[in-house]
Amino acid sequence: MSDRTKIFLLLLPAMFIIVVLFFGGLAIGLMRSFNYMPVIGLTDPDFSAYIAVFTDREFYLSFALTFHIAFTSTVISSVLAIGAALLLRRSFIGRGMVNFLFQLNLTVPHLVGAIGMLYLFSQSGSFARLAAEFELIAGPADFPALVFDPFAIGIILQYVWKEIPFIGVIVLANMQSIGEDYESVARSLGASKWQTFRHVLLPLIFPGVLSASVMVFAFTFGAYEIPAILGANFPAALPVLAYRKYTDVDLAARPEAMAMAIVIALLSALMIYFYVRYSRRRIRG
Amino acid sequence: MKQNLKIGLMATSMMLAPLGAFADTADGDALNAMSWDQVVDLARGGEVNWFLWGGSDNINQYVTDTIGGILKDEYDVTLNRVGLSDTVEAVNIVLGEKESGVLDSGSVDMIWINGENFRTMKQGGLAYCGYTDILPNNALVDWTNPAIANDFGVPVEGCEVPWSKAQFAFAYDTNRTEEPPRTIGELLEWAKANPGKFTYPAPPDFNGSVFVRHVFYHAAGGVDGLLGDFDQAKFDEVSAKTWKILNDLEPFMWREGATYPASISAMEQLYANSEVDLTFNYEPASVGLNIENGIFPPTTQGYGLTDGTIGNTNYTIIPFNSPNKAAALVLQNVLLSGEAQYQKARPDVWGAAPAIVVGRTSAEAQANFATIVSHPNVAPADELAQAALPELQAAWISAIEKGWLENVGQ
Amino acid sequence: MSNKESLGIRSFRALTGAFLITWLILPLIPLAIWSFAKGWFYPDLLPRNWSLRAWEYAMSDTSGVLDSLWLTIWISLAATALSILVGIPAGRALGMYKFKGKEIVELMILAPTIVPGIAVVLGIHSVFISLGLNNTIHGVILVHLIPTLPYMVLVMSGIFSNYDPAFEAQARSLGASPLKTFWYVTLPAIRPGIIVGGLFAFLVSWSQYILTLLIGGGRVETLPLLLFNFATAGRNDITGAIGMIYILPGIIILLLTAKHLSGRSGAVGGFGQI
Repeated sequence: MSDRTKIFLLLLPAMFIIVVLFFGGLAIGLMRSFNYMPVIGLTDPDFSAYIAVFTDREFYLSFALTFHIAFTSTVISSVLAIGAALLLRRSFIGRGMVNFLFQLNLTVPHLVGAIGMLYLFSQSGSFARLAAEFELIAGPADFPALVFDPFAIGIILQYVWKEIPFIGVIVLANMQSIGEDYESVARSLGASKWQTFRHVLLPLIFPGVLSASVMVFAFTFGAYEIPAILGANFPAALPVLAYRKYTDVDLAARPEAMAMAIVIALLSALMIYFYVRYSRRRIRG
Repeated sequence: MKQNLKIGLMATSMMLAPLGAFADTADGDALNAMSWDQVVDLARGGEVNWFLWGGSDNINQYVTDTIGGILKDEYDVTLNRVGLSDTVEAVNIVLGEKESGVLDSGSVDMIWINGENFRTMKQGGLAYCGYTDILPNNALVDWTNPAIANDFGVPVEGCEVPWSKAQFAFAYDTNRTEEPPRTIGELLEWAKANPGKFTYPAPPDFNGSVFVRHVFYHAAGGVDGLLGDFDQAKFDEVSAKTWKILNDLEPFMWREGATYPASISAMEQLYANSEVDLTFNYEPASVGLNIENGIFPPTTQGYGLTDGTIGNTNYTIIPFNSPNKAAALVLQNVLLSGEAQYQKARPDVWGAAPAIVVGRTSAEAQANFATIVSHPNVAPADELAQAALPELQAAWISAIEKGWLENVGQ
Repeated sequence: MSNKESLGIRSFRALTGAFLITWLILPLIPLAIWSFAKGWFYPDLLPRNWSLRAWEYAMSDTSGVLDSLWLTIWISLAATALSILVGIPAGRALGMYKFKGKEIVELMILAPTIVPGIAVVLGIHSVFISLGLNNTIHGVILVHLIPTLPYMVLVMSGIFSNYDPAFEAQARSLGASPLKTFWYVTLPAIRPGIIVGGLFAFLVSWSQYILTLLIGGGRVETLPLLLFNFATAGRNDITGAIGMIYILPGIIILLLTAKHLSGRSGAVGGFGQI
């Protein structure tokens, strides 16, 4: 059989699943956000759900908060992950343990970490109790509000906890497959450690970091259970708000939930677009 | 566990095994015309999927072990308890199914329900109605009592069956607080004198919502003018005062009112860990259970308010599209029985007040009821009942919840 | 590799390493302690009363925790197996061939790793209701394929891009059937990819919450749903026990496959080679 047919058949099952489940789900969500659902007799698409969403102050606050969470978590995780990978490249006492724990962390679901963070960082949590033990605070109210707070500090901490190993493992694997030859050459030509890093290593690992960061940003933007456990209830993270609207007994809220879901999807699509454009150009350049 | 085998079989026989292997009893009208024995026969060997709030493992255990045991042993019916974090989830399932045309093979056979959720189901045509007379234990229910015949002001009219009674009560830690506030007015003063030590869950959490209603009654100077149908003018007048009270309270609340606990359990955690010093619950017996389960410090003491707290009856309802109605009827009958209501009333099981008239049960059941001694840390149900305030009609409640979200929650 | 780093830098590394070790384990500690506690209130650093009640409850028949464990394992294994079955051919196509429209196909397969589940599942939910897939284990397995399949394809395409089809051609020319060729030649070569991809797919399915919540409708109660319910209900002791049980299978699978995650196997590098 020809190559074209072979490729088609090889790709068929995967594409079928992706097109039907993923793109199909998006398409139906899109239709319902326009109140267009011929199956149950709604044949007049309208913008009422979008109008309701975009005139709702809560939506903007929620969007801003969620963007802040995703952006901050991604930046901090990426930077620290590169640092962690640099650390783990060389051997030192405990390196094996750190490596192992990094990989172990990958297997721990976000939900467990989030609950653990709650127990650690709430105003009556483990750190607060330690502070009380050392008489640094008089009562729970004196401990800084790190969970259920408007800056989502607890949420960001939790994402950073999980994403540093995720990005770190990818970057480390990249570094190891790139090898150290380029850097040795640069050092032997007189470049400082920082210059070597900045101009030799960083550009080489950048594509990997970027693709991992895009995944992390999208995940932290669209995750539900972590802000549900650690977040304040107003404004809530966008996925929490969308779920709330979807499960509201008032059925008119459902298309609004779909509209929010589409907004989330659009933002992710934007991320993909910028990533593709920017990373291809960088790699070629 | 047999369940593993079941899962394995289900997975490998994807196209086979019809749901509900035995008599599909989706036709409610047909059931209504039968005798009770015929209904029980139809139910035998089948199953019933009961969706109820799953946040209390005492209740979960009572349902799974006690009720599930009775159903299996006496009627050969399998009880599948499905835990929810909010009753509205089950209502949404039925709603979604009706929307998608699933009319007689619904996934929900019974819901533990009351209030707005009941109104949604009754008004949306989502409930199976008009059958309650065929339940033998229906005779134990006092339908002449308006608090039972009406669910938050909406007439029941045979669409649901009572299960339990609840009355709102407060609790405090005797180690931390000398004298707790015993009226809403005192509470507001107390909160201001103890900044950061009080909060309440954000409506529409069930408990947060009923707390706000207490403040609403207080702002109205009493509940009398509020009973009856929704009155927009009256609502605007009272709610304006209520929002002012609650907004004035915010700077003195936990986190200065910048955020509210998302649920009653979250608030109970804050109370247990000294972040706040007062807690409350629509199920006063939960104080005793929480102490036993290590959720509350043992020095917690429940109490009621001198000017009364709100009480309600809660029910079980069968959705219109349940395919296991016969089994659901058998389950409802068991729930109403003297034996089941007695077990439920035991403080080490649940401590919930019976929804039936104890005097109408068998001599044995009555003797059992007489042996019940409530947990020492729990506000006794009969004391609370002496100062019971009625619930408002569901339309008031939705308006209050919505008003809170717009005027206080933001 | 030069070992001429100063003592200062080496101690810095060791210190940072120690900090990292502590930091990585930290959130799991209170969960573990809670599972053995009977009431643990502020300001106690450790519980005053210890008890095995939470574990007894978790291991009991009536609590449904063990049933949930088997159910979650089953769902994740099924989703992983399906991803492998479908991901190997797709990875082969993307890794070994160049063709018109390849970038678009890659993007389409990659999209679910970037677009969050909530954006998609609300739309799928209503369709699944009409198809009767709602509240079923099959429906949940299907919907888990959305996030797991892309990871599998990604890893497999990375493996296949380093793969030399010459060996297959040789085997065929020696008279081996396609099946035998696949089994004895192809499979061993791509095994590292299957293991790493399978690991990621399993973990992605293992930690799914919102997809299972919406499509399973509470009837398919996987471990994360159970854990979430107990955590929000404030039963911290049971939460701790379930949390410990929940992380165990992932750890076990990791221990079995650890050697494939670092180094030049190319499998993990596949993530950076989109």
